[in-house]
Amino acid sequence: MRIARANRLTPYMFMAPAAIIMAIALLYPLGYMVWGSFRAWNPSQSIGEAEFVGLRNYIFLWNDPNFHESLIVTLKFAFFVVSLEMLIGVGLALLLDRNIRGMSVLRTLFILPMMIAPVVVGLMWRYMYHPTVGTFNTTLESWGLPKVDWLGDHALMSIIIADIWQWTPFIFILSLAALQSLPRSALEAAKIDGATGWQQIIHIKLPLMMPVLIVTCLLRLIDAFKVLEVILVMTAGGPGLSTEILALRISRTATEFRELGVAAAMSNYLLILLLFFTVAMFLFTKWQEARARRLAAAIQEDD
Amino acid sequence: MAAKQERQNPSFYALIAVLVFMSVGPVLLMFVNSFKLDVDIISGSTGLLFLPTIQNYETALCDVLWYEIDHLDFCAIKFGGAFINSLIIALVSTVLTLIIGCMAAYALVRFRFMGRDTVSLTTLMVRMVPPAVLLVPVFGLWNNEFCLDKDGLIGGFIRETMGGRGDVCLAGTHSGIILIYVAMNLPFVIWILQSFIVQVPRSLEEAARVDGAGPFQVFFKVVLPLIKPGLAAAAIFTFRIAWNEYLLASALSDRDTKTVPILIVNNMSEFNVEWGVIMATGMLLAIPPIIFTLFASRQIITGMTAGAVKG
Amino acid sequence: MFNTMKSTAVGLTTMAFMTGAAFANPYAEYAGTTLIVNFPAHPHYDAAIKILPEFTKQTGIEVEVDQLPYLKMRERQTLELAQDEGEYDLISYVVFSKADYVYADQLENLAKFFMNPKLANPAYDATDLIDGYVQNIGVAGGAKGYLPGPTGSLFGIPFGSETSVLAYRKDIFEKHGIAEPETYAQLLDAACKIPEVEPGMGGMASRAASGHQASHAFLLHLAPLGGRVFDDAWNPIINNAAGVEAANALKTIVDCGPEGAMSFGPSEAANAFSNGDAAMFLDSIAFMPGFEDPERSKVVGKVGYAMHPMGVRRGSQTGGFGIAIPKNAEHKEAAFLLMQWLTSKEGDLMVAMEGGNPSRFSTYQDAGLNAKYPFSATFGEALKYADPDWRPIIPVWGKINADIGTTMSKVLTEGLDIQEALDGVAERTQAVMEEAGYYTWK
Repeated sequence: MRIARANRLTPYMFMAPAAIIMAIALLYPLGYMVWGSFRAWNPSQSIGEAEFVGLRNYIFLWNDPNFHESLIVTLKFAFFVVSLEMLIGVGLALLLDRNIRGMSVLRTLFILPMMIAPVVVGLMWRYMYHPTVGTFNTTLESWGLPKVDWLGDHALMSIIIADIWQWTPFIFILSLAALQSLPRSALEAAKIDGATGWQQIIHIKLPLMMPVLIVTCLLRLIDAFKVLEVILVMTAGGPGLSTEILALRISRTATEFRELGVAAAMSNYLLILLLFFTVAMFLFTKWQEARARRLAAAIQEDD
Repeated sequence: MAAKQERQNPSFYALIAVLVFMSVGPVLLMFVNSFKLDVDIISGSTGLLFLPTIQNYETALCDVLWYEIDHLDFCAIKFGGAFINSLIIALVSTVLTLIIGCMAAYALVRFRFMGRDTVSLTTLMVRMVPPAVLLVPVFGLWNNEFCLDKDGLIGGFIRETMGGRGDVCLAGTHSGIILIYVAMNLPFVIWILQSFIVQVPRSLEEAARVDGAGPFQVFFKVVLPLIKPGLAAAAIFTFRIAWNEYLLASALSDRDTKTVPILIVNNMSEFNVEWGVIMATGMLLAIPPIIFTLFASRQIITGMTAGAVKG
Repeated sequence: MFNTMKSTAVGLTTMAFMTGAAFANPYAEYAGTTLIVNFPAHPHYDAAIKILPEFTKQTGIEVEVDQLPYLKMRERQTLELAQDEGEYDLISYVVFSKADYVYADQLENLAKFFMNPKLANPAYDATDLIDGYVQNIGVAGGAKGYLPGPTGSLFGIPFGSETSVLAYRKDIFEKHGIAEPETYAQLLDAACKIPEVEPGMGGMASRAASGHQASHAFLLHLAPLGGRVFDDAWNPIINNAAGVEAANALKTIVDCGPEGAMSFGPSEAANAFSNGDAAMFLDSIAFMPGFEDPERSKVVGKVGYAMHPMGVRRGSQTGGFGIAIPKNAEHKEAAFLLMQWLTSKEGDLMVAMEGGNPSRFSTYQDAGLNAKYPFSATFGEALKYADPDWRPIIPVWGKINADIGTTMSKVLTEGLDIQEALDGVAERTQAVMEEAGYYTWK
């Protein structure tokens, strides 16, 4: 505490640039958006010229079937993407948690998909899904199987697959790191007690990994709502509205339909939804952490 | 026993082979296709039997190549210019984010001051804001509010020296895009760096202080060198987002400040998808991230796990 | 790189301008100006960009092109035209943007330029411009606000005008004894017969992707089948019998179309045809030169071109682009000179020789052009039936268009009942029109 007393202003000076930038470029815009969401506002007007319409934009969206559909698509996308990626990622981490030569090379190759621009990912998958010349359909054809209309009938599934390809490695790497930082003593003890592989996983590894898994899950969930470019390039939200996630609908409403007010209101709905998820996950983490601590303590005592 | 090299059964290696193929395959496919003519790509022959050509890369890079290209009448894709824009925007925003984020993280870890909890909570909250949500306000503000009057002192000066028309606004400038990227990336950088700064032993700082160093000297001379790995990780992640981002850049850029992702999306236009050229531009865009991945995968993984695993 | 044909054309042009400029060079005053123009990524404008160096050579006026995908271009212009001072000196606009821009008073009325003796070239010959296009693309303020009429005036000049024609595979049609489709009944028959007799080949490749593309495809059939979006009192009649028939036609075409037809945009559809995956392609003439390009097409020389088949009437689309001068432009007069040069007889021909779409009768009759692109004559014929009212060009159209597009896409992919779907569109359109004030005078 001597440091803090040395100069009361120092921390503020260190914080100031970040605080100023975030205030100007994040908080102020968010406030501006809330203000704009109560207006009938088009892109060629400044906000002052736009007419105040109260809650009309919100009510309009509340009753708009297209918005509902887009919301459902978003939730479906987020749900499938996060749960499948968690399942596959954690599963692979449990499988590959062994000391083999070249693990670091493997990890390098696995993080490649994450680093590549979403626009390029969308581009690659759009090509691979192409109905006639794409990799998947030509392969299916050469095996004598019927072709699949990837981006037509099964568009949502196709974009989910592409996202799984890009982001499962993220969960895999985090779970692997978590696994490798588990206290060895607990695992050894279980082995000595004669626990089978499955028992070890279910009763020891997973509960101990839980705090990390929950944070990972939260991060992926937040990111799942940010996905836009991959879908934009692959399907542009079609066919129908079957892949039009909220982020995409916001951008279309703003640019194509030229209704900034409605887009702002939609952004607010999305924010509220995300806030709800984040808080829920946050509380759940707190609860889980407490439980995991008790569990770890119990195992330590057993030792 | 875990510490020794274990012998694994063949199916284990088969699984690894499949996984590697799945994660690298699409990238390789794009790489191969970028050397094919459109006719070869569209005919759908997946085989490797084709005559590789650099024609697609020539088309993409026509504005920076020093020689005349035979197969092209005029240069439609100005990839070179977009690449430079991307580079400026990504590099400047990365450097700024790191400096500012590092200072903030240091303050959050080392000092107790009023409002600290608020700040770290805000940081977390802001992290969850999707770029799409920022689209409307940023579009409106950058175009209409964050402007200097062209008849004013500074605005007039800028118009006189830089040319252009109308009021001087943030939209359409490099700085406009950089500002929003810095703001967007700050929460993440602060979050990651916090976990590194916590590990810097306090005694080192105290020692420097006893030697008469001020708080800023302590920060730059003692703390910064010790958290280099964290800085590297944060730098790569910031660069990656700034380099790859499309939505906000497309709303804010004009014809002189287009970045590569915008160029790629624009060239997927409706009349003629020139797969070869697009794959070539995609490949060029992917090169910097791929290089980072290959040479700094350790830092990337540290960065990824820092926040989540160490809490 | 310039072919000989073009050099001749260029030579002629230069001569024409030389004689015109015997006394004083009308361009002299503007030499050294740099114009910034906004063009779409479109085959016609690709062709136009190729001849811009020639313009600079003749006039000394530099041109800088900002080329964007056409839906993107509109977004950019919305923003740019609203500023006090804009960047663009000359813009190309999609025909349905005409309403927005003119209504918001963002385009220059061209009368004052054509009245200025220092700017207007007496050899311009405006009567040679294809009248339907001038009316549809350039004139606003007449009947219904967007159609020509006594109260209308000129805001833009057609450049890159398009109509729809049917491209079909002569070889396939002959092989199976199918006649060139002249009516919609024949068209739909052929579309579904081909996949049966020629396994692996789709009947007709059509746009169908959600949004603008699906709406475009639907409207393409609506006009010839006798339908309209609105009646004369702006009541939506999109859900009448003709509307249902048009939607049915589109559904039939997509169902019998090539693999993945539901998600086709125009480029996918054109690719499917040029790759031999579909036997017919009914769309804008802008795509047709691509089918005769051996580098991109596998069907060179096998394609026949016919007029848009007839339903209860002939009604091919009128679409494409016009060029106009924004109110907030910096170099309006030089921009007019470029506009005049591009749409002059010589400019129009040069662009056409590079693969663009002519906007002048004389160009379609040009022997050199017909030798290079044998289908030019058919196109000229098709133009006579181009329907300027095939889609309403009113400020709220963007919203209605998006609604039609999404709904049609749902009909195609999710099997939504057609009558129900169109009733829904009509109802929502009615509300939009009500809000926009179209029923004020009722």
